[in-house]
Amino acid sequence: MSGTFEARNKVAIVGYAQSQVVRRPTEPLGVTTIRTAREAIADAGLKPQQIDGFAASALMPTSGGHEAQDGISTVSPAWLAEHLGIEPAYAVGFQGHGQLTGSLTLAVNAVASGAADYVLLHRALHNPPAGKYNDNPMTEAAGMMQWCAPQGFFGGLPAIAMVYTEYCQRYGATREAMAHVVTEARNNGAKLPWSYWHGKPITTENYLAEPVIVDPMCRLDCDIPVQGVGVFILTSAERAKDLPNKPVYMSGYANGYPQRHRLPLHWTLDDMEEAGQALSARLWEAAGISREEINLVQPYDAFSPFVYIWLEALGFTPLGEAHRFILDGGIDASRPNSIAALSGGGAIGNGRLHGLPQLLECYLQLSGRAGQRQRNVSNAVFSYSAPYFGGAAVLTNTP
Amino acid sequence: MTGHILPVPDEMSAPYWDACSRHELKLAHCSQCAKVTHPPDVTCPNCHSIEPDFVWKQVSGHGRVRSWTVIRQSFLSGFELPFLLVDVELDDHPDVRLIGRLIDGADTPLTLGDAVTLTFDDLAPGVAVPAFVMAGKS
Ligand SMILES: [Zn+2]
Repeated sequence: MSGTFEARNKVAIVGYAQSQVVRRPTEPLGVTTIRTAREAIADAGLKPQQIDGFAASALMPTSGGHEAQDGISTVSPAWLAEHLGIEPAYAVGFQGHGQLTGSLTLAVNAVASGAADYVLLHRALHNPPAGKYNDNPMTEAAGMMQWCAPQGFFGGLPAIAMVYTEYCQRYGATREAMAHVVTEARNNGAKLPWSYWHGKPITTENYLAEPVIVDPMCRLDCDIPVQGVGVFILTSAERAKDLPNKPVYMSGYANGYPQRHRLPLHWTLDDMEEAGQALSARLWEAAGISREEINLVQPYDAFSPFVYIWLEALGFTPLGEAHRFILDGGIDASRPNSIAALSGGGAIGNGRLHGLPQLLECYLQLSGRAGQRQRNVSNAVFSYSAPYFGGAAVLTNTP
Repeated sequence: MTGHILPVPDEMSAPYWDACSRHELKLAHCSQCAKVTHPPDVTCPNCHSIEPDFVWKQVSGHGRVRSWTVIRQSFLSGFELPFLLVDVELDDHPDVRLIGRLIDGADTPLTLGDAVTLTFDDLAPGVAVPAFVMAGKS
């Protein structure tokens, strides 16, 4: 595709629900998902039987050595439809990385094409009851893992640490700048009643005192694995007029894909920057607005350096400048004219919800439902994952 | 060394691990476009041939440090902590970047672009994995 998205502002989010975010599940993930889905349907002013489309991505609700079970540790669109007692016209799953933005685009396209009238988009994240999320009892490495695990390179944390080291060395970023990112996320998240970190703000001193575990990353640079579910209801802009909530329209989206053949989980700063610039160009063209018209930015932050990567990729600062912009207060939610990049707490301030906090905050702010956090915003952008696995989308309340 | 995770060679990777066991670094060269790729794939990522018929040729392993990290806590068991991993761009094949342990130690001061040369970590009898050492210190 080139040019403006044909369905620009023709599909709207009309309702949502967010479950409580918990560290360890007290019920099967499917139960939390059904409850949250029912809340979202009611929130949109709809009856369950009006939902005729389902979209989601079930990949990686968790990782480690346990098997995914539909309804227990993962929830597929078809499982959810069946267990809500709905026979959908269209149930579709996104495969691969970029789960939230990928499945959001499936939901948007389903409405835009007329494949379904009311689409329920869900993302359900599981954290197993015991054991560590990523711990791996591996003693042999076959397949792609043979290229990195024998030398001890394994998992997302070393992967982002390599990118972050190069960023710090190349651009002079300091731990003080990242303290600003992490405290902003945690302190905004601490105000959210559903957040795992509700009521638990941290200080710059807390961050700076935290030992580095995979240089230059410390524990507080990482989101914490949780169980939690977010659900959004999408329909056409036309149908949205008759529903109770102020619609939030989807202006455009862009997804990114790996361009370079690398070792597994070998992320590089060059690749991130290159993919980010390409994705960003497609995004602004599709959305048909310029970044100057955006007044809320919610970048992915599962690992804190992604905030730098995305602010630069989306063009809110030049390459290598995000850390300075942040030190100058550019993302502070306490300032009315900032881009408030972590006003919704992000993943660091909510728990490992894979992009849900970013999409939710865009929706809540644009629909005027952000309560005490409410800002004066008309256009917002959020991003998910890395620029070459994930994606970004522009939303508006003023089409 | 450090790890107790042994690679499981397969049809595609067997020549690589064979060479490693003799402390030689061999990389896959596409027989269509002659370019190097690592790791090998079912197609050539450079010319996209579905018949790359990779030829394994020895390379020097000299390179430049593009990034690094010190692993102080690992999700894998059996590694002696801490250890330092370097992301190395090969001088002869700048498109290829390898990740390996820097055997000089976890507290080695590094800057971007530092020169390193190839060495190997022996994981078990007949099993070795490429590692790196600061140039001029082997
Ligand atoms: Zn080729």
